[in-house]
Amino acid sequence: MLLEVRDLRVEFTTREGVAKAVNGVSYEVAEGETLAVLGESGSGKSVTAQAIMGILDVPPGRITGGEILFQGRDLLRLKEEERRGIRGAEMAMIFQDALSSLNPVLTVGDQLGEMFVVHRGMSKKDARARAVELMDRVRIPAAAQRVRDYPHQFSGGMRQRIMIAMALALRPALIIADEPTTALDVTVQAQVMDLLAELQREYRMGLILITHDLGVVADVADRIAVMYAGRIVETAPVHDLYKAPAHPYTRGLLDSIPRLDHKGRELYAIKGLPPSLTAVPPGCPFHPRCPMAQDVCRTDVPPLYAVEPGGAAGLATGEGRGSACHFWRDCLEGTGSR
Amino acid sequence: MATMAPVPGTETTTEPILEVEGLVKHYPLTRGILFRKQTGAVKAVDGVDFALGRGETLGIVGESGCGKSTVARMLVNLERPTAGAIRYKGEDVTRLSGRALKAVRRNIQMVFQDPYTSLNPRMTVGDIVGEPYDIHPEVAPKGDRRRRVQGLLEVVGLNPEHINRYPHQFSGGQRQRIGIARGLALRPEIIVADEPVSALDVSVQAQVVNLLERLQDEFGLAYVFIAHDLSVVRHISDRVGVMYLGRIMEIGTDGQIYDHPTHPYTQALLSAVPVPDPQARDRRERIILTGDVPSPTNIPSGCRFRTRCWKARQRCADEVPLLAVPEAFRGEGGPAAHPSACHFAEEKRVVPPDDPAVQP
Repeated sequence: MLLEVRDLRVEFTTREGVAKAVNGVSYEVAEGETLAVLGESGSGKSVTAQAIMGILDVPPGRITGGEILFQGRDLLRLKEEERRGIRGAEMAMIFQDALSSLNPVLTVGDQLGEMFVVHRGMSKKDARARAVELMDRVRIPAAAQRVRDYPHQFSGGMRQRIMIAMALALRPALIIADEPTTALDVTVQAQVMDLLAELQREYRMGLILITHDLGVVADVADRIAVMYAGRIVETAPVHDLYKAPAHPYTRGLLDSIPRLDHKGRELYAIKGLPPSLTAVPPGCPFHPRCPMAQDVCRTDVPPLYAVEPGGAAGLATGEGRGSACHFWRDCLEGTGSR
Repeated sequence: MATMAPVPGTETTTEPILEVEGLVKHYPLTRGILFRKQTGAVKAVDGVDFALGRGETLGIVGESGCGKSTVARMLVNLERPTAGAIRYKGEDVTRLSGRALKAVRRNIQMVFQDPYTSLNPRMTVGDIVGEPYDIHPEVAPKGDRRRRVQGLLEVVGLNPEHINRYPHQFSGGQRQRIGIARGLALRPEIIVADEPVSALDVSVQAQVVNLLERLQDEFGLAYVFIAHDLSVVRHISDRVGVMYLGRIMEIGTDGQIYDHPTHPYTQALLSAVPVPDPQARDRRERIILTGDVPSPTNIPSGCRFRTRCWKARQRCADEVPLLAVPEAFRGEGGPAAHPSACHFAEEKRVVPPDDPAVQP
């Protein structure tokens, strides 16, 4: 397994108290696999990624438990210098906002080339040549000329391609893309997602795609992990999840999005708001908004149950399908009340 | 004038309340300090026609920079058009001033995109929602305002007791409700909503979309609903206009645009939208456009979409296609017969028909 996150816990100290941003998250990514991590703002999806990359702001954040096994090594036990060697070279990240992630006073050629100078000890001239190759690879027209341009001289879609080129520069085994196309227009989004998927296939990279967009997930992901209030509430192969969600939150999300292919009636709206992370409700964090909630949901935190229709009750393993709902069977069969 | 053919896109489903004709907004680019010389113009909106019926929702979709927000700002008179007419019940708003303009503006209100920056953080919710009454005191007598504001908060699903709270004490979805309450305060007939749900999380977005639909039924509002999310626009709109680089490329009912698009840009746009159905991955044909939208300072000759269009031929560079029912579909009367500004308009279904097997 390329990456295994086990029972990760991250807290932030805030004025309102301790916010449990990530509260026992486990997931796995295999070589060549795309795992989509889906969640709304504050679900902990980005904080988990920052902990994996080692770019969490400490303080106010701190990792209070768990393991992050990358190619068998626990990243949380490595020294900062060792992590720096991994970051960029073996795992890389693509951010949502390319304009604020690129350095505005350096040319894109310098920024791309820096990867080779720092990690590979190349000369500036060789690094520049590699930068041009990379820009070609992500289909930036006239790369040899544009390598001297500054980030502001590129359009949003082109800048996001440069981010992708930078992430891929050293052929990392794992890419984490945090909302990579959210800031882009839909036709440009399609170009960029296409490119990312193509390069991922070619290099057999593992990809963690962090998004709130159920459409993007359906287009590219192999597996999906749905997060809510710092926990994974459902994980499944992408086809299974869309066909029959096993958690009422996932079901609610799927029902609440308007469709392109038919006009539809009134949208289903999940009532209420996501909880504050400093005051997560006891029991299942979703229970105050859940149409299926029973007494047990208010007191007992549901573990991630293995979802096997007709199967025995047990806990989900890494690859299996799982749901953190006491009543996942009812949800799966669609018999849960609305 | 009476013999003039109706302007394309003006066939509203109900009696028209707002008609826009030849709307243009150019921002001059100048050089020099003492001797200012105009060197060009950003052609943000470059000839837009449409009409809005009473109680109807017109969706306007397009990518960033297409001019949709500039159209919105002109409709509520935050920008003065360079040319063209905006007729509210037959009267050209762009020629009005003073009291007459103020009276019209009361009836056309706006809801903004960003619920974080469109509410003054130093004002209480009561002051924000009640502020329109300071400008139009004839609507609500002073002693009655607090009660009215509380009524509005209740209508949009907020607790009327929170009237003295400040915007930061509310979540994004609740703030958008405050913005909607403010838009409703003067009992307008038309609400122009510019990306009203784009900044919201999925589960909250559905709540606000449902609220807008409920309010429309309750108050008989007409909406101009501007958004880049094509699924949301289909859900809420009766008719949809697709904008590109300052012009409407295609306009029709939601079924005509989504199920029977004839303009290549609309087809590309629709085919690029990710559909939340993994089964559709292999069934769908994707039209991936090359390149980026050209700069609005330097619009291509002829058809402005031709630089990215896979169908473009010489005629597209020479001749501006007009927004009209394409010749091929005239007289047919089918769903493909709606205005589309393309010389080579062809029907092409790009949104896969709903597969009943995947429906819950």
